[in-house]
Amino acid sequence: MSTAAHAPASSNRYRRDWRALLTRHEMLLLYVLIAEWLFFYFAGTSTNRRGIIVGFGTWDRQFDILRHSCEIGLLALALTPVIITAGIDLSVGSLLGLCAILFGKLWHDAGLSIPVAIGLTLGIGALAGALNAILITALRLPPLIVTLGTYSLFRGLAEAITRGSITYTDFPEAFLFIGQERWLGLPTQAWVFLSVALAIGLLVHRTTYGRAFRTIGLAPEGARYAGLPVERRLALVYVLAGLIAAIAAIIYTARLGQAKADAGSGYELFAITAVVLGGTSIFGGKGTIPGTLLGVAAIAVLKNGLACLPVVMRLNAAEEMSGLFTGALLLAALTASVLPKILSNLRSRRHTATQSTSTLSP
Amino acid sequence: MSSPLLALRQLVKNYGGVRALRGVDFDLHAGEVHALLGENGAGKSTLIKIVTGAHAPDGGTISLAGQPVANLTPASARALGIACIYQQPALFPDLTVAENLALRLDATSAHARVDWTARRARTTALLDRIGAAIAPDTEVRALSMPEQQLVEIACALGSGARIVIMDEPTASLTQKEQHLLYAVVRDLRKNGVGVIYISHRLEEIFALADRVTVLRDGQSVGTHAVGDINEAGLIRLMVGREVAQIYPTAESAPGAPVLSLRGVGCTASGVHDVSFDVRAGEIFGLGGLVGAGRTELARILFGLTPADSGQITLAGETLHLRSPQDAVAHGIAYVPEDRRRHGVVLELPIAQNITMAVHRKLFPTTWLRFGAERALALDYIRDLAVKCAGPDAPGGSLSGGNQQKIALARWLATRPKLLILDEPTQGVDIGAKSEIHKIIRRLAQEGLAVILISSDLPEVIGMSDRIGVMAHGTLRAILPGGSDPHTVMAAALGTAA
Repeated sequence: MSTAAHAPASSNRYRRDWRALLTRHEMLLLYVLIAEWLFFYFAGTSTNRRGIIVGFGTWDRQFDILRHSCEIGLLALALTPVIITAGIDLSVGSLLGLCAILFGKLWHDAGLSIPVAIGLTLGIGALAGALNAILITALRLPPLIVTLGTYSLFRGLAEAITRGSITYTDFPEAFLFIGQERWLGLPTQAWVFLSVALAIGLLVHRTTYGRAFRTIGLAPEGARYAGLPVERRLALVYVLAGLIAAIAAIIYTARLGQAKADAGSGYELFAITAVVLGGTSIFGGKGTIPGTLLGVAAIAVLKNGLACLPVVMRLNAAEEMSGLFTGALLLAALTASVLPKILSNLRSRRHTATQSTSTLSP
Repeated sequence: MSSPLLALRQLVKNYGGVRALRGVDFDLHAGEVHALLGENGAGKSTLIKIVTGAHAPDGGTISLAGQPVANLTPASARALGIACIYQQPALFPDLTVAENLALRLDATSAHARVDWTARRARTTALLDRIGAAIAPDTEVRALSMPEQQLVEIACALGSGARIVIMDEPTASLTQKEQHLLYAVVRDLRKNGVGVIYISHRLEEIFALADRVTVLRDGQSVGTHAVGDINEAGLIRLMVGREVAQIYPTAESAPGAPVLSLRGVGCTASGVHDVSFDVRAGEIFGLGGLVGAGRTELARILFGLTPADSGQITLAGETLHLRSPQDAVAHGIAYVPEDRRRHGVVLELPIAQNITMAVHRKLFPTTWLRFGAERALALDYIRDLAVKCAGPDAPGGSLSGGNQQKIALARWLATRPKLLILDEPTQGVDIGAKSEIHKIIRRLAQEGLAVILISSDLPEVIGMSDRIGVMAHGTLRAILPGGSDPHTVMAAALGTAA
């Protein structure tokens, strides 16, 4: 064993780490992802643009999956730190819509250049996140309620601005390059997605900020008693979530070539699903960025793969099937993660029940 | 005399290594008020928990009216006529008084129709019996603490309780409310109910009780008719033990004052007019009963509940502590009382628990340095002799004493000027206790100013260079270390020494 050779003094520890690594949640999810992919590789077919039947295993399809998972993937990355602190942000999907509209308006109506409009949109996203942050940290309102409120507020603003009818289109070619072309072999937006993943991954796993998020999620009072700046750290995760939602809005607009008020509606729920599927505990304290990326991938492959199953194509039921199987996958993953604990609880309860069957004497 | 209503014989209860009760005998007769007295941790709460069926004893027998009872559960205790009124009433705040009573007293099925008229009538009758003017339709949320206690008593009466346990019922009552409660207790006695009355107020015991039993270190040290004993005698019974443990002593005189408090108070937490100094190298003990305001004072000094009056000076600098970050930045460290909620994050590895308060110093660029973290953790594990599988083991895998050492290590790593320890040896076994004592003394010896809050009277007397005694939110006396326990107890009880 090569790892043991490098560190003979602690070979035992390393061997135990290996076993833990192979059975941890992320690895299980990776097995699921591989199984999904292989299933669709053999069972799925599809037609290309010229009407020729092609398989699931083409490079084009892999890039297509990647391209389509960037926006929900970004929102999932935004939500992972939030959920690690035992919070939630339901407003990211609506904020994506609001930012898309404002970006379109800044470019089209205000006549700003694309880079300036992007910069301003990112600022607006961060500000909207700051609104969540202030309500949650300064007023100590529950994140679920606050972001349920801003979920409606942001979407309502987007619809009010467009009066439900304006759609911004005719973006320049150079901008559409971000969403529709490839750069260095990958869909352009994938580079943005991967950069954000790397940045958030480092923040969560390699800095004192990530430590604080985790500690706050596990023991908010304990974190306060340890002198950690609980409010400031909580504020940071919501501001970051707003900023990343704005990035997702830019990519969304560039991919579709249009900005509409209903952009990203329902995305927050897919993103939360991906995060939880990736092993992040909704109660806080536990979760990894690699897990979230695998969760995003598992959902994206499932969704895309289902669409190219012959039976699904015949029934024309890709949307319904993908909802059904995504839900089933999430519930199965959650059940699998709590099953060992429930079984051991049941065993101990039966044990105590047999102990206390002797009743009162008087 | 007929067999007593309640007889406990040789009751034993251990919590891990802590022997909470070691063979206690206790009798309660019908129509008697029997007071139970003892220091914090003497075993009163444990005794109550056993009688109410919350905890099972490890040994001994419980008899009710001559009949031995085994496997007491909270439900069977209630069915047998044992009711307990806690300091904090356990009512549902959003339900009305009548609904709360019905929940406790009625065993109706979910399908039965609710007879509101009967419910209200019964509630009114029960409340009338104890002379409480409370409308049955009032929501419990709207009632004051003493009114809620009266509702609890009405519940006990309504359930036909033969034994009523009252755990410090007057702790939060005004003088007038106390007298109302006394009348209720006397009325219960007249109706043949046996009352176990727990209180720290000696005058109350003399006014109300027929007999008094004193617990000390989990043993009964005597039962007396109240006519046969005086206050001094009771205090002697409560504390009158030889100091069993050897405490490490100071080898050098303390230096210059590090911390000065002048008239410090906080309205929100009920602390007022606290003034004292703590010197470098000194252990300043804070004694007093539970609720005297010691933890509240510590929370002020750590910025958790900022002071709204007085002046706090640390090393010559006047401080305005608004948050724990302020306190940590100025070199104040606080090892909290509730170790599991505030002290150690049980799910996190030992190393992360130890470095939690030194993120800025250890990771100046905010990038984690795992090697440095591990090295620091190993240093403290070795230095404080923490028994653990290694720095990666979760905090929850440790025993209470070792968890406490981790909590201590976290704050030592900040190199504080002032260390506040809140009940550092509570729930810790004897061996780890004396180890922690040695560590505390060594830290003082190294020039740290230490405030030691402890409800363990021998500990606070044995460890401290000076002892501040608190009662009712303020400092009542400053006594020299090694003082007579009777003097300390008398100050804590608020009786003139």
